[in-house]
Amino acid sequence: MLNALLLIPLVGALVIGCWPGKLTSERARNLGLVFLGINLVFSLYVLSQFDLSITELQFRESIPWIDHIGLNYELGIDGLSLPLLIINSLLSLVSVYASEKDIRRPRLYYPLLLVIAFAVAGAFAAQNLLLFFIFYEIELIPLYLLIAIWGGAQRGYAATKFLIYTAISGILILASFLGLVWLSGSSGFDYNPTMAHGLPWIQQAVLLVALLIGFGIKIPLFPLHTWLPDAHVQASTPISVLLAGVLLKLGTYGLFRFGVVTFSEVWVDLAPYLAWWAVVSVLYGSLAAIAQTDMKKMVAYSSVGHMGYVLLAAAASNPLSYVGTVFQMLSHGIISALLFLVVGVVYKKTGTRDLTVLRGLLNPERGLPIVGSAMVLAVMASAGIPGMVGFISEFIVYRGSFVSFAPQTLLCLLGSGLTAVYFLLLVNRAFFGRLAITEDRMDEQDPVLPVVTWQDRLPALVLVGLLFVFGLSPSWMTRWIEPTTTAMYDAMPIKLEMSSAHLASPLANASMANCSDGDCAL
Amino acid sequence: MIQTKPSQVKNVHPFAHYAERILAGDTLLPDTPENVIEVMGALDSYGIVLDFYSINLNHVADTQFLNLFPIFKYFDGEINPGRMWRHFCHDRINYEYAEYTMKAMMWHGGGGMDAYLDTDEFRENCERAIAAKIKFNPVLQIFHRTFPEFLIEQIRQLCYYSGLGQFWRVMSDIFTSLAARYRNGEIEHIIQIVEHIKDGLVADAARPITYSVDIGGKMYDILPPSAGLTFLVDTAIPYVESIFFRGGPFLGTVSYNAQAQQISPDQSRFTYGALYADPLPIGGSGIPPTLLMQDMFRHMPDYMEEHYMKTVRQLGDVRVKICASFQRSMFCVTNAALVGLLPKGAGATEPDDIQANREFLMVWMDRLTTSQLDTVQTNPLGSN
Repeated sequence: MLNALLLIPLVGALVIGCWPGKLTSERARNLGLVFLGINLVFSLYVLSQFDLSITELQFRESIPWIDHIGLNYELGIDGLSLPLLIINSLLSLVSVYASEKDIRRPRLYYPLLLVIAFAVAGAFAAQNLLLFFIFYEIELIPLYLLIAIWGGAQRGYAATKFLIYTAISGILILASFLGLVWLSGSSGFDYNPTMAHGLPWIQQAVLLVALLIGFGIKIPLFPLHTWLPDAHVQASTPISVLLAGVLLKLGTYGLFRFGVVTFSEVWVDLAPYLAWWAVVSVLYGSLAAIAQTDMKKMVAYSSVGHMGYVLLAAAASNPLSYVGTVFQMLSHGIISALLFLVVGVVYKKTGTRDLTVLRGLLNPERGLPIVGSAMVLAVMASAGIPGMVGFISEFIVYRGSFVSFAPQTLLCLLGSGLTAVYFLLLVNRAFFGRLAITEDRMDEQDPVLPVVTWQDRLPALVLVGLLFVFGLSPSWMTRWIEPTTTAMYDAMPIKLEMSSAHLASPLANASMANCSDGDCAL
Repeated sequence: MIQTKPSQVKNVHPFAHYAERILAGDTLLPDTPENVIEVMGALDSYGIVLDFYSINLNHVADTQFLNLFPIFKYFDGEINPGRMWRHFCHDRINYEYAEYTMKAMMWHGGGGMDAYLDTDEFRENCERAIAAKIKFNPVLQIFHRTFPEFLIEQIRQLCYYSGLGQFWRVMSDIFTSLAARYRNGEIEHIIQIVEHIKDGLVADAARPITYSVDIGGKMYDILPPSAGLTFLVDTAIPYVESIFFRGGPFLGTVSYNAQAQQISPDQSRFTYGALYADPLPIGGSGIPPTLLMQDMFRHMPDYMEEHYMKTVRQLGDVRVKICASFQRSMFCVTNAALVGLLPKGAGATEPDDIQANREFLMVWMDRLTTSQLDTVQTNPLGSN
């Protein structure tokens, strides 16, 4: 069944790329929508067939491939990868839908988008380290091309920077995987959470640090983040949606899947430092966002900040914080995709993202009132306003991490406050006041923005709906996540609360955050 | 808030050329085909809307006298389930706009009616009507004895209902007849519009403004003919002053802080009226314009719709467009009023008379320096 999830976008890419005869941009887009629509429906079918009572991998596919190097086609999903697969299917569809109808080179553009959907799905489902790495690398090439060909004025610089950073990330991850297999004496690259158990601490530490830096680039964590704002600013809207909504999650997913449980002995020892790293990332991302005047850059830096919460929760290493880790990934996927979508519409209609000139976009007659309202809701969700998905994810993260790392959690809470600061600055500057899109207020003509179509609004409204659905009923998401994360926690041979690092903490005797019924946040 | 320029020297005053235009028989608004369509379209629909407003204001003044809970005041006496359903579905005229206007007039005052409402004669008229009205209502009798000013203040307000209703009756007829002439192809230039309005104002200048109510089959004069109130001096000029010039600082996208002196404590220095309003932030300035624009949209003529359909957002920003067109039309009304009020008449030829007219106009130009007069000199909003 998982094969189909990979094959549908791949076949779609081939069909569009090899379409006989003339293929207009609109038809290519429609074909992409059809394939990704089927893909989403199929993903939801997989969701419906997923057995919540089983914590093991489900829908396993195992095909021997290049046996002598240990590379096998091993797929399987659990509560960690299933929600990410769904988000991938949804946001791929959204990104194709949000693409311009008259995009240049549609025969290349849409297949590249579909290949990303294929590669990301493959990475989330792969249960072989080498297979994961291959999918992880496959996704780089189309993304590089999508930025380099359809990006903004500085696209060459941004695409190359992205490629260099993520190639280094790939090298480090590959090195770590090779080292793990080699040192553990494993016969192949098929992933097993206990692979590293029994290795000396220092060996585990080296392997984990390589993974941390490798995935830290992808997440991205300060100071490995500098490729991200450039890539976002130069990428077109659909690519930014995919990048922020799904591709960054490959970093957190990889770290959580392959780093936390596998190297749990070292992980719990490094956890306090990782939590501090998260604090630095969160505060740096938030403070840098405050300083931005480009809307897209501000949202990009907010991503840096918000991905720091994932690291904080992963470092906290308790059942609840693990739920928070995954929930924050999904929540950030929805919110950041929505933010980039809305910023894209603003840019498309006004020709600028400059917060020093944009004003009053909420004007009900001449502005972008519905899109602007979606923006207001997105920033509310991002700032953690109750009733929306951002509140739930941050609440679970903080509730989980506070018992492990109180000072770090409090400082990250400050980051949540700063989110409100920079997003209120954004909304206040761009959306309130008298409508203006140029510096010259004395223009003879008042600005008349092009009409916003339902094509512009629909994807944003769908994501707004999800903000509320999971904000008001978080158990619809936690029920998929919780059995798996609890099982992962149970599989850790060393627990944080028993580690020497944690025993020194004054909160060591505080009650451990637990999550047992899928409704753990509430 | 007002930035009054003290200069009276025509070569220095930034708006002196507008005064010269009027003296030369030209208009404040440039004579372009687009302006003619916009102004006519606005006045065409405004005339119809004013008819509704006028009928309702007079209905309230005549039939809701001292009704402290006038729940059905917007129904014009037609109270049935069908009408109520349409009302609740908002398939109706926004009579609230007429009331906002009435209250703005009452607040700013001015003219003979405002003065008459403070006379002993008016108070006696009120007491007679009140005594008749509450003859069988002991609760109101006690109430009136306890708060003797309350019901009198209510009647002052009803006088403004009636005064504005009578004023708009005349204006509605002027605009409706103008629209009929336009449809017949008689109106092609802005100056013809200004002339038509001026002639209408002058023709009804001395029309008496009176107000009487029927209580128990007997008529009670509230504003008797003997008060000598007339259309132009006692309703039209206070209306222009209150609604075109002063208005109220309505909170929209601009927040005003009265305690920080952002609003002048001197009402006469207010510049929030229709000639100053910024059409872009809907609901943002002056009397909430959205209500009027909605009503005008309901009765927008076809040629106006065709004109708007040529713009970028077509009818998507129609209320901003109507507001901008309406503002242009109000500069025509202001123009007509100024010509009509020229102390030496529009046809003066003697240099001294022209100078007297110029000095009269310069006072008004001083007040218009912060208005949208410069803005309406360019192409109509949104017609690109």
